[in-house]
Amino acid sequence: MLAFQILIDGFAVSALYALGAMGFTLIFGVSGVLNLSHGAIMVAAAVAAWAAASVLHTGTYTGALIGIAVALIMSFATYFAVVQPIQRSRRIPNEEKEIFVLTGTLLWGIMIQELIAYFFTNNAKTVLPIIEGVVNIMGVRTPQNEIFTAVVCCVVIALLWLLVNRTRTGKVVLAASMNPRGVTLLGHELTSVYIVVWAIYGVLAGLAGVLLGMFLGVSSYSVGPLTASAFSIVVLGGLGSVSGSLIAAFVVGYLETLTAYLINPAYRTIPALLLLVVVMYIRPQGLLGRR
Amino acid sequence: MGSFFKSRLFFISLGAVIIASTLPLYVSGYVLGLLTVAYYFGVFAMSWDLLFGFAGEVNFGPTFLIGVGAYTAGIVNAQYGLSPYICIVLGAAAAVIAGFVLALPALRVRGPYFGLTTLVAVLMLQNFVVVFADLTGGEIGLTIPDVITIDSHANYWIALGFMTISAAILYGLAQSPVGLVLQASGQDAVQAGALGFNIVKHKLAAFVVSAFFSGLSGALLVFYFGTASVGTVVDIAVGVNVIVAAVLGGRRTVLGAALGAIFLIVAGEFLRPTGELATFIVSAVALLVVLFFPGGFLGAALSREARQ
Amino acid sequence: MSLKTALHASTSLIALAGAVALGLFASPALAADPIKIAVIAEAQAIAGASMPQAAQLAAEEINAKGGVDGRKIEIVTYDNHSSSADSVRAFQRAVNEDKVNAVIASYISEVVLALEPWAARLKTVMVTPGAASNEITKAVHKDYDKNKYTFHGYLTSASLALSVCDAAKDLLVDGKHTKTAVIMSEDAAWTKPLDIGYQECLPKIGLKVLDHIRFSPDTTDFTPIFNKIEAAKPDVIITGISHVGVQPTVQWKNQQVPIPMFGISSQATNETFGKDTNNAAEGVLYQGVSGPDLAITPKSLPFAEAFRKKYGNFPSYCGYTAYDEVYYLADAIKRAGSTDSDKMVAALEKTDWEGTIGRIQFYGKNDEFTHGLKYGKGLITGAMLQWQDGKQVPVWPKDVAKGQLKFPSFIKLTAN
Repeated sequence: MLAFQILIDGFAVSALYALGAMGFTLIFGVSGVLNLSHGAIMVAAAVAAWAAASVLHTGTYTGALIGIAVALIMSFATYFAVVQPIQRSRRIPNEEKEIFVLTGTLLWGIMIQELIAYFFTNNAKTVLPIIEGVVNIMGVRTPQNEIFTAVVCCVVIALLWLLVNRTRTGKVVLAASMNPRGVTLLGHELTSVYIVVWAIYGVLAGLAGVLLGMFLGVSSYSVGPLTASAFSIVVLGGLGSVSGSLIAAFVVGYLETLTAYLINPAYRTIPALLLLVVVMYIRPQGLLGRR
Repeated sequence: MGSFFKSRLFFISLGAVIIASTLPLYVSGYVLGLLTVAYYFGVFAMSWDLLFGFAGEVNFGPTFLIGVGAYTAGIVNAQYGLSPYICIVLGAAAAVIAGFVLALPALRVRGPYFGLTTLVAVLMLQNFVVVFADLTGGEIGLTIPDVITIDSHANYWIALGFMTISAAILYGLAQSPVGLVLQASGQDAVQAGALGFNIVKHKLAAFVVSAFFSGLSGALLVFYFGTASVGTVVDIAVGVNVIVAAVLGGRRTVLGAALGAIFLIVAGEFLRPTGELATFIVSAVALLVVLFFPGGFLGAALSREARQ
Repeated sequence: MSLKTALHASTSLIALAGAVALGLFASPALAADPIKIAVIAEAQAIAGASMPQAAQLAAEEINAKGGVDGRKIEIVTYDNHSSSADSVRAFQRAVNEDKVNAVIASYISEVVLALEPWAARLKTVMVTPGAASNEITKAVHKDYDKNKYTFHGYLTSASLALSVCDAAKDLLVDGKHTKTAVIMSEDAAWTKPLDIGYQECLPKIGLKVLDHIRFSPDTTDFTPIFNKIEAAKPDVIITGISHVGVQPTVQWKNQQVPIPMFGISSQATNETFGKDTNNAAEGVLYQGVSGPDLAITPKSLPFAEAFRKKYGNFPSYCGYTAYDEVYYLADAIKRAGSTDSDKMVAALEKTDWEGTIGRIQFYGKNDEFTHGLKYGKGLITGAMLQWQDGKQVPVWPKDVAKGQLKFPSFIKLTAN
């Protein structure tokens, strides 16, 4: 049942991509920051979850929570140690802040990555799945962990939607992404909005990292590809558009899975890349970009 | 910048080049080899700075141009056995064509989108190299039969000469009326356009010049190493280091970019005894410079000059 | 999209700076000078990390017994960040700056192939403890006078394939009546000759090759690959993996692919593999030259124990080979009575040394694999080990086996 196989595997991969990319795009939408230490934070979360569960024997759930906590701390560290100083710097002209944030977060990501390789070697690690075993769906032997991953991703994405659209904090965040100055006029401190966004980002990246560690496994080599994939998805969807990245994640996820199954696993990334090029030519602002 | 300072910078540079050219008389072959690579890298960084610092376009894919130059030269030599000099010229020509093809559509878009287009170009090149492994050697790398010379002194002087000439041309271009138009269009394209300058044409010219020097330097590097691989001339990590070198040395200075590149390579070597942490330390130092001295080495030095 | 950005090479300035420096050759050392041996290794990888440690251990043992004709052995180590360009630069520094007498380098074939011309240009003896590609010895055979400085201190891919086939014959074909196989290997320099070897020897032992899948070493999602393999309905998967290991193994178990994996799986030789995979490794069969419980020669277990005592973990396969290499380099220098490269080469060619992985002799100038390790009974045959209950248990050849084949319940191997 190749069609079902593709449908099921593609869904899990896409959902994971979506989770990883959404925090990334949210930060861009609200503060115009492209965080190139994204992959490093995800890997740090997965490796921390692995270390807690397999080395310190804390148990799977505690391990996963520790992983997410590590990502949250990293996220704040990225903001306070790298992004905020650049944004507040008077010596960097405004039009160049973008390239400085890119350079800064990239260097920061490399530092995290090198530390991970130093302490945990660059061999791949896998987080112990919360659920083990397989079930048979329409003749496809599917690991329960894969279903679990997909379900968690969907639930978290739904929660994020509720948070942004139904709560007061969320509405402020949404407003800030549309017009930061307007929000300050309404009496909201922009810094506290940023802190909320980086907190959401940390949790999302941590969760995505831990789930990825359970589903496929990660190593310090994954840092670059993870950042690049989030970057491409977000560009395809339109920078800053959360729903755009959601759609783009599924487009990319399924395109890759189709290629891997029907053509050759070695060419997995190429069609998605071609699509990206085409979109950049025809519609440079991405699928749902505002600009 | 006053003309006095310009001349002062000129004398300092001249002194530095003279000192550098006598180095083979008293340092070991190993140090020369290190600097040879640093000089080629310096040209990458200067070419990038021309595009970013003056035309205001963030090229995330310097390695697209470098890689096209390097691989074209290498493949022509490996397949047809032409002399390295012809291969190097062909490499530079291919980079110019690639730069032109990339620039035409890329310049239609602005800001981060320009950067993204260039980034995607690198990823495409990387996939191309891997998929057409028979031609390119794939992930293992392409072995090139010829090298220019294996004499370390000669290699060093070639690299130094090449960097000096490139620096003179790129710096001269940046200071010329063309450079000023570029700078104006980088800061406010609409106004510069309103003054009657053809922005696209100027930027295209900057892109092509940048491509020429990147490709030439990439091709020379290949004939120095005797091998071309994704990890040395195409990988995004290499491009990132070009950007870091330029930012570290000081944007909009051209010469600073070369300084940054030499610093990065030499620092990496000094830290070799720290083993696995060398990369960490270099990144940390670079981050601190970015955070606290955003003008870079030359930027900081220049502003001190200006204050005096 | 998993785009290979590999920011790990971060200061690829370093990567770029495979500096080329010729001209200065090590001057002949005085008698009391230490013998310097460089170890260029992948310090951040488990397999690579054992290399300098094992070399150091061997040097200390030799020095404690008075060194080589009164000269101490000194190990100088370099981290190559798994990059060819870094390795070339380290090699040049080792020879030109640090004046080493011989180099032990890397387990990655690409790296060793990049270093081989430099060993020739700088006329310095180089031995690799872990790379496998046939090309390394082929180059020596083709241009002996130039490349004779390179020695292959590990089995070539062709020998590895033979070793796997010999084991498969006894364990699977004769033991379990296995009939069909699919070859699954990563796209790399060392697997090309390996796959050719597999395709030649598997049919000879009675295993029909149904499919042959090569995948990019960057692959992270192996679901489509296992899917394709399952569709071919083979009895066994013959593996050729090294850059990947943890990820395919974990996904094999999570997806409960009912076919055993058998063959080369370099990461499985690491003692930490069980933990890295959360014991998904159970039942994985891998070819090895060493193991904590594998007494190939009387020297194997004492070395493993001494290593564990000093560093807290068991050595990787490169640890065993690097340890042996320091010993037989020292032996060759002693026999040559000199650290002159050409004399060392001549002495190394006459090596007959019982090491930790077997009896070490090199193929000669006229053999196909010049300067490769001789493969065969009484020399080196390798062994087959299986992960069982979190331990690496030798199961082949019979004289060193410590257990029977044992598979997790989801594996459906044709029972006898």
